[in-house]
Amino acid sequence: MSDVATKPAVPAMPLGRTVAAYLSDAKWESIRLFRTPAFSIPILAMPILFYSFFGIVLAGKSNIGELANNLFVGWTVYGVMGPGLFGFGILVAVERNQGLLTFKRALPMPTGSYLASKLMMAYVFAVVVMAMLVTIAVSFGHVTLPMAILVRMAAVMSVGVIPACAVGLFIGAFAPASSAAAFANITYLGMAFLSGLFFPLSGFLHSIRSVWPTYHLSQLARASGGMTSEGEPLVHVAILAAMTAALVALAARKLSRRG
Amino acid sequence: MDAEGDGALAQLKGAKKRYGATTALDGLDLEVRPRELLAVLGPNGAGKTTAIALLLGLQQPDAGEVKLFGRSPHDLTARRGVGVMMQEVMLPDALRVGDLISQVRAYYPDPLSFDEAVALAGVEKLVKRPYIKLSGGQKRQVQFALAICGRPRLLFLDEPTTGLDVTARETMWATLRRLVKDGASIVLTTHYIEEAEALADRVVVMAKGRRIAGGTVSEIRSLVVRKRVDCVTAVALPTIEAWSEVIAAVREGDRTSITATEAESVVRRLLAADPKLSELEVRRAGLAEAFAELTQEPAAQEQRT
Repeated sequence: MSDVATKPAVPAMPLGRTVAAYLSDAKWESIRLFRTPAFSIPILAMPILFYSFFGIVLAGKSNIGELANNLFVGWTVYGVMGPGLFGFGILVAVERNQGLLTFKRALPMPTGSYLASKLMMAYVFAVVVMAMLVTIAVSFGHVTLPMAILVRMAAVMSVGVIPACAVGLFIGAFAPASSAAAFANITYLGMAFLSGLFFPLSGFLHSIRSVWPTYHLSQLARASGGMTSEGEPLVHVAILAAMTAALVALAARKLSRRG
Repeated sequence: MDAEGDGALAQLKGAKKRYGATTALDGLDLEVRPRELLAVLGPNGAGKTTAIALLLGLQQPDAGEVKLFGRSPHDLTARRGVGVMMQEVMLPDALRVGDLISQVRAYYPDPLSFDEAVALAGVEKLVKRPYIKLSGGQKRQVQFALAICGRPRLLFLDEPTTGLDVTARETMWATLRRLVKDGASIVLTTHYIEEAEALADRVVVMAKGRRIAGGTVSEIRSLVVRKRVDCVTAVALPTIEAWSEVIAAVREGDRTSITATEAESVVRRLLAADPKLSELEVRRAGLAEAFAELTQEPAAQEQRT
């Protein structure tokens, strides 16, 4: 009974195959969610419908200049946050419940691929949403900014996928599967309307607007597009990073406690 | 005793696991050797699934040792040698069968080719179908494909044939035999005694979280000394029951079934009492009888393998 017990060999996993496994997981996660109408339709259609409705139809002729630009930023931030928030918030809670996570943990899935694939999925969805919003903005949105600037702003806003995933992961880790969707929706609305994305806030709500990641993201986007903005971009980035780290740490603790 | 664990692909030593007040495993020793099909039998709640969950690193033992390929089951390298089919699993609904196989194959260093995996599991006709549209039995077949597609050296199958039709079960059995022949080891939990009888090189019988017997199928059978004597006879049932070798006797229609510690003297007495006796049949208890008897008395002495 030597402790130098012969370790029966398992073939080594070349780095290339590990990378390929991460990419494959990301691909299938994206494909399955594009094929799941309950996820893909609201995530893709809502920002586009809202932007078209509020930003173009309702705003009508008054929708010019700074206001048009504001609406573009607001709805793009809204659209970018959705996939991460719901992709993590609802799916993690549901999959935790369904035993899919258990099965994946029994498989030699690369460490972190479960979350990485969802992050990449959220990014893919966010890029699709942004591409459509930029197209609408340029075609009908009366925005005064040139296409190149809009694309640059969208690229900056895509950073928001990461804090959105962190918020979602936090919800997914703590909320029961049955109510995760409700928590995600409430959080989504809070992030959209209490951070001053669409209308000016006053009083108490104004003073706490910076607790929402959407506030920092929209300020970053405005700064990158040369619009009026509050605060220092680097500070916004630091705050977003800190929020992300804190939420992920809390969620990780909860998820690992479950064994 | 064999040298404990040397060369064992997977091993539990004195594993204990409690869930609240329930003891799921009570000091279980279990090892899986190279190139064998090990059947783990036991009634519901015997701890079979918990034993597998420990070996896969899905749960932590409260006490004892768990080794997978000589490593911790949390080690990704160890799990790369393992394929698994769990009792209850939900897979992503929106993916097609072929997508799922591609995704799981990607986790392994040296998987079977896609076509090989599909053919071995007998799911050729399902490849293009969405997983959600499959019947329960078809889903099991797909889960089996996912278990074997990584060319694992060790396969854990938790009640794999539950819900399968006869053809699908035959296919799975044939594949299991072939995998063992090609050098894999398989741990199979099952409710179907005939499955263990047909496939297993070695059987471990569990009850109440403990191993109560282990050995080859015929060794397990021989643990139970009881014999079955069936015949058509006019001898009255109470008369038969009074014989000292007879444990129980029942009559269904014109047929009498006798369970006895010894067949020969029962047959001698029967023939003496009833010269017209017909359709005499004597057999040793099958694994099913052995299993039933063993699990009735979990206190039965530990049988060495």
